Amino acid sequence: MINEVRKAYNQAIFDTDKILAMRIVHDALDRGLSPEDIVFKVVVPSIEYMSTSFGQDFGASLAQHFMTAQIAALVTDEMLSKFTSPPEIVGKIVIGTSQGDFHGLGKKIVIGCLKAQMIESVDLGLNVSPEKFVDEAIEHNAQIIGISSMMLHTARGENGCLKVRQILKERNLADKIKIIVGGAPYRYNHDLYKLVQADAWAENGIDAGLVLKKLLEEIKQ
Amino acid sequence: MITGFDRLMAAANGEKSDRIPVFCNLLDQGAKELGLSLKEYYSKGEYVAEGQLKMREKYGYDNLWSLFYVGKEAELLGCKNIIYANDGPPTIGHMVFRKPEDIHNMVIPDDISNHPEFQETLKCLQILKKESGDKYPICAYITASMAMPAMLMGMEKWMDMLLSGPFDLRDKLLAMTSDFFKKQLVAYRKAGADIIIYSNPFGSPYFVSAKLFNELSMPWMEKDLQGVDRFGLVYYCGGARMNQVLNQVIEKLGFATFYLSPFDDIAQGKQLIAGRALCAGVINDIKLIDWTYDEIKAEVKRMLDAGMKGGKFFFGTLVMPLYIPEKNIRYMLEAVYEYGSYA
Repeated sequence: MINEVRKAYNQAIFDTDKILAMRIVHDALDRGLSPEDIVFKVVVPSIEYMSTSFGQDFGASLAQHFMTAQIAALVTDEMLSKFTSPPEIVGKIVIGTSQGDFHGLGKKIVIGCLKAQMIESVDLGLNVSPEKFVDEAIEHNAQIIGISSMMLHTARGENGCLKVRQILKERNLADKIKIIVGGAPYRYNHDLYKLVQADAWAENGIDAGLVLKKLLEEIKQ
Repeated sequence: MITGFDRLMAAANGEKSDRIPVFCNLLDQGAKELGLSLKEYYSKGEYVAEGQLKMREKYGYDNLWSLFYVGKEAELLGCKNIIYANDGPPTIGHMVFRKPEDIHNMVIPDDISNHPEFQETLKCLQILKKESGDKYPICAYITASMAMPAMLMGMEKWMDMLLSGPFDLRDKLLAMTSDFFKKQLVAYRKAGADIIIYSNPFGSPYFVSAKLFNELSMPWMEKDLQGVDRFGLVYYCGGARMNQVLNQVIEKLGFATFYLSPFDDIAQGKQLIAGRALCAGVINDIKLIDWTYDEIKAEVKRMLDAGMKGGKFFFGTLVMPLYIPEKNIRYMLEAVYEYGSYA
């Protein structure tokens, strides 16, 4: 049954049909699939499936990516309340858009995808100051700061990632809290994350989960 | 003396001028030329026109811009706050729609030409036309119906409405933004704009699936362009890829000029267009910030080698961030003038 559900769910996501995707999930629950299997064997693989074809010809598009994340978050929220035991949270990230940046779509996609992968996100919203990124990471005991930037000057400017890095250094937190960045400017220059002194970047919300897990491993070592 | 118009018309007709046309999209740099802050610079059409004329004269490229910043269109529809930075373009700081029901209250101005928020753009256009209009094509930028709502409610909310509804409200909004596109087009052409950039990220396979492209993007683009003269209209997806849709767009929408993405393969784009339209190869100007002289020359040569064969080609830039050093702008243009020469 699991393969059949996964295939139908993937197709609904590919067609950006939220209503159908939710119906497939609820039908599967009625037919006896566990909430855990729905999250880990249907939703998470669908995120990975989208990742492989994202940006390739007429493969998965930004619209499908958006829908993947939105539905993943909806389903995960619903299923978590039905889990037999609380799942292990892999890590925690505070995430927001850089100061002066009011474009929240990418951040929203990342949060949706991370939720299904059991990475907890604290959404700091738009136009977040460097100080707030660090203060909130400490407050929430997050291992990662995520900075999303749609515009070059908010990615590269003095009040973006560079300042967050400076504050982390000043407070001796650079080894404890890592920085991941993402957004349009990083797609145009894959080395830009190094210039702004981030630890890593992710091309899309789906890849963000994989990159975050690597960073979390680095922190543990 | 060969003008930008001469070069563009030659390229459009598949003929050779002295070199390929070069479109360089310097916008915010005009403020620096005039020694003004971005906020001061964009407050008056006279400043923007002067900045454009000075920069074209200084660098020798072939186009002029009447665009201030992209959010200017939202101001025509009620946006009350634009946020200025020192090192990047102004952004929208006020969403016209706070909730979906606000869509019912939106009114598309009948006469854009006389709209108070259009007057500085109009002044800019009039000066550009007077000073240089017969020599260098004046570009205007208009957002397509499907992309405009993102400026009024934010991309996240718009994407949600676009994909999940309510569809009656979505379609009502699209009908209004399509009407807005047409009315802006009339105003810009009346004021003397020669080239209209039709900007639609939702016309790119990066943004939408093939199904959505066919079922939603294409019909709304057809509505935008119904009864519209295609002369001078440029298909542009906001920097996103378009090679996969070129054939459909030529056949169904009749575009005769395409402004590719830096992510598009130029040779493939030319092959797909197959001489039916003019095509711009567009440089990745985010990388231009950090490239060396040799890297810039090599990249320009690579692009021109891919694009010049068969003619009907010109060189373009994307957003040209303020972070690009002036010397790199010069290196890029010198390389285009050298490798793009027909002499």
